[in-house]
Amino acid sequence: MGKQVLYIEMDNCIGCRSCLAACTQCGGHDNRNRNYVMDVDPFHTRQTIPLMCLHCVNPACARSCPAQAIQIADNGAVLSALVEKCIGCQNCTIACPYGIPKFDQEQNLMYKCDLCYDRTKDGIPPMCASVCPTNTLQWIDEAELARKQEQHLLSNGKWVASQPFNPLEGETNVRISLPGILQGREKLF
Amino acid sequence: MQTDKFFKEIQNVVHPHEKLVSTHCCYCGMQCGMKLRVDTNTNTIVGVEPRYDFPVNLGKMCPKGVTAYQQVNHPDRIKRPLVRKNPALKGTPDGFEEVSWEEALSLITDRFRDMQGKYGKDTLSVFSGVSMTNEKCYLTGKFARVALQTRYVDYNGRFCMSSAAAGLNRSLGIDRGSTVPWTDLHQTDCLFIAGSNAAECHPTSMFRIWEVQNRGGYLIVADPRETPLARRADIHLDLRPGTDLALANGIVHLLIKNGYVDEEFVRNHTNGFAETKELLEAYTPEYVSGITGIATEKIIRAAEIYGKAPEAIVMFCRGAEQQSKGTDNVSAYTNMALVTGKIGRPKSGVATFTGQGNGQGGREHGQKADQLPGYRKMDNPEHVKEVACAWGIPVEEMPQKGVSAYEMFGLMLDKTIRGLYLLCSNPAVSAPNQNHVRAALQSLDFMVCCDFYLSESAEYADVVLPVTTWAEDDGTTTNLEGRIIRHVKAQEWYAESKPDWWIQIEIAKRMGRGQYFEHLKDPRDIFDELRRVSKGGVADYSGVTYEKIEKNNGVFWPCVSEEDQGMPHLFLDKKFYHPDGKAKICALPYRPPAEEPDEDYPLRLTTGRVVYHYLSGNQTRRIPFLHAMYPDPLLEIHPETAERYGLQNGETVLLKTRRGEAPYKVKVIAAIRPDTVFVPYHWGKHESINLLTNPALDPYSKMPEFKACAAQLIKLGREERRHG
Repeated sequence: MGKQVLYIEMDNCIGCRSCLAACTQCGGHDNRNRNYVMDVDPFHTRQTIPLMCLHCVNPACARSCPAQAIQIADNGAVLSALVEKCIGCQNCTIACPYGIPKFDQEQNLMYKCDLCYDRTKDGIPPMCASVCPTNTLQWIDEAELARKQEQHLLSNGKWVASQPFNPLEGETNVRISLPGILQGREKLF
Repeated sequence: MQTDKFFKEIQNVVHPHEKLVSTHCCYCGMQCGMKLRVDTNTNTIVGVEPRYDFPVNLGKMCPKGVTAYQQVNHPDRIKRPLVRKNPALKGTPDGFEEVSWEEALSLITDRFRDMQGKYGKDTLSVFSGVSMTNEKCYLTGKFARVALQTRYVDYNGRFCMSSAAAGLNRSLGIDRGSTVPWTDLHQTDCLFIAGSNAAECHPTSMFRIWEVQNRGGYLIVADPRETPLARRADIHLDLRPGTDLALANGIVHLLIKNGYVDEEFVRNHTNGFAETKELLEAYTPEYVSGITGIATEKIIRAAEIYGKAPEAIVMFCRGAEQQSKGTDNVSAYTNMALVTGKIGRPKSGVATFTGQGNGQGGREHGQKADQLPGYRKMDNPEHVKEVACAWGIPVEEMPQKGVSAYEMFGLMLDKTIRGLYLLCSNPAVSAPNQNHVRAALQSLDFMVCCDFYLSESAEYADVVLPVTTWAEDDGTTTNLEGRIIRHVKAQEWYAESKPDWWIQIEIAKRMGRGQYFEHLKDPRDIFDELRRVSKGGVADYSGVTYEKIEKNNGVFWPCVSEEDQGMPHLFLDKKFYHPDGKAKICALPYRPPAEEPDEDYPLRLTTGRVVYHYLSGNQTRRIPFLHAMYPDPLLEIHPETAERYGLQNGETVLLKTRRGEAPYKVKVIAAIRPDTVFVPYHWGKHESINLLTNPALDPYSKMPEFKACAAQLIKLGREERRHG
């Protein structure tokens, strides 16, 4: 079957938040959900969108971690902070451009979506994509991904439709300043 | 295994010291397949896993389904029978004491005998529901008629499926909710969906519905609100609540006028076309637009799309059905399929979204006031004879037909009915005109309530019997397709709770009617009796076995023999179930809702559901995730209307109708008609929108008009806000 990815079709979302309910049921998630569903414009429309961890190839959360507590698994899943390493500084929660890492004040510990690593390492879809009743969240293989991306190419060979070929998870034009000690920013006294 | 394009072979995760039990959800008519996680050390249900290989939902679940298992070992479960020691506290959750089953059952049978001795058999009534298995629904009808020997038995399907049932029976001669299996939905070219908020009420249909659009097909939605379903529709027919009949007539008018009639189909397989055509001449787009408030071009375009579609499915739900003309709405929408011949083949037909888990099966097997098992009718002497014979009672012992659910409350108030055995329902939230209903419950001499939580209705009871949840018992339900499926016991009966069938058999024995019930030892015995008794009826289950259900992932009725594998598609032979084999195209003149807005009550009030809650909310309001997502009812109002009343989002108003009033916080949203307000109905007590709803009944289905009445709105100042 090859590598499989989480694929998100925003416009399918009906705001049922089944993904959040299912997130708590994974078994390794301490009954706490790790993602979000946002109302887009609640006074106007019922449109909602899921805000999931995008498991960046070069994740800001991990890069900002001074304790190297955020590991990246072999399938690309950016994991929750390791209990024994996390120092509770919350750099990651500030660094993430999507606001994904959550913080447990009591445990002084960051936790986030781990793409249901215990499942996805064995080719089993994550809980959110398993239950999503609308196929907003899908777990698809590379062939299916290629087919879907193909749909964004228009027949004139020049233009692409709404989604660029390398969408959000790739390089972006927006650059983010990561928190931390910066050169030339020493305390004055 | 039936597979379709969404099917993927996926292994389940099994956690250490656990096993998985393949069963179904307890909530809506989708009856999604799910696997319950059972701890093998404690033998208790601890979680849920997707059931990827059940063909209807393929592992998908809504938030209610994901958290359904949390009901089973919930701290609010009633552990032992409760008897009311303090009658002054009737109508409150207080004043009960725990007693033994022996004491509770003795008290019930003593009171039942005493009341029946004084006032006659019919002084007792049974009010039931269809969120329980076919076995229980069947036995409840027999319990009422054979054990209690009363005519007064009816059920909460009168607030749910009765208009669909009456309309489909009239049009097609058979009431099976869908003429096609759900796996056809995504393969059709056009879905015309009226009065359904499938995205919130049947969410696991959505991946199929969106797929119609992904394939280039069309989605047409008729709804006063721009629901999450209507949001993406190709055409959103934003009609005024209660005007479906005009819309359906208008569409059929255009189908006829613009040459989309299948002349051969109409000639050979239907009656009633000529008079319908004549009546519908008047239903021009302009006339219909005037009644419904929908722009004429949208009506014209919708009819054109439906007419052109090679395959199309017309679907409807409570929005169209919960009206005082709900039956007519169903037949009128069904007319669309009949005049165009888009029925009786794969990927085309009509379907209703069944509300309750067993809304289909539960209405077939005789807990309805006028019905007997196998969809037999009480006004047909042959049918009565067949069932009396199967039950082994003299035919003259069969009680007469009773009255509908809502009408029973009137009989309680005039003391025709003095005793109530309530199960699987919470009418103190779900029935319309709550002030009347609550007064009726309060007036009873003696009331028994069977539930697993102390519901708002249980607060009126003299005895509360703790029953098992769905996951603690075996049995079958029939889903919204007409597919009979198997619920599997995953945990022993909680504390001292018992299944409804066990209780009814015990009471029957104590009422001296044991000889008709004693042979039934478990759900399988009851199912085998149901199969035998349903044989020869329209809803014939005689060929269905637990084994066949498990092997085939469900069996579609009718299924009449061991060899018969059931009927996923109805009418493939173009034979309808009326005696002449023809369907009926119905000429149905429009009439407005029973109550229209006026100077005093200028707004249209409509009610419905939210995705996080189920029916009266007795189950879902207790689940932490669901409660957190939607804790209190909100009144949806258009920004223009809100501005007229000087309202900001989150402010509190008092909503009033001629029947009652209730305070609500407002949710300002442009996705609703400016002349309409919406309130969900999952809350009880002072928050119940059913304090306000109109009990005007449909003449055929006896469905109350939950979906349209006239209301006024008063902005409350900070000090006037009521928190009763």
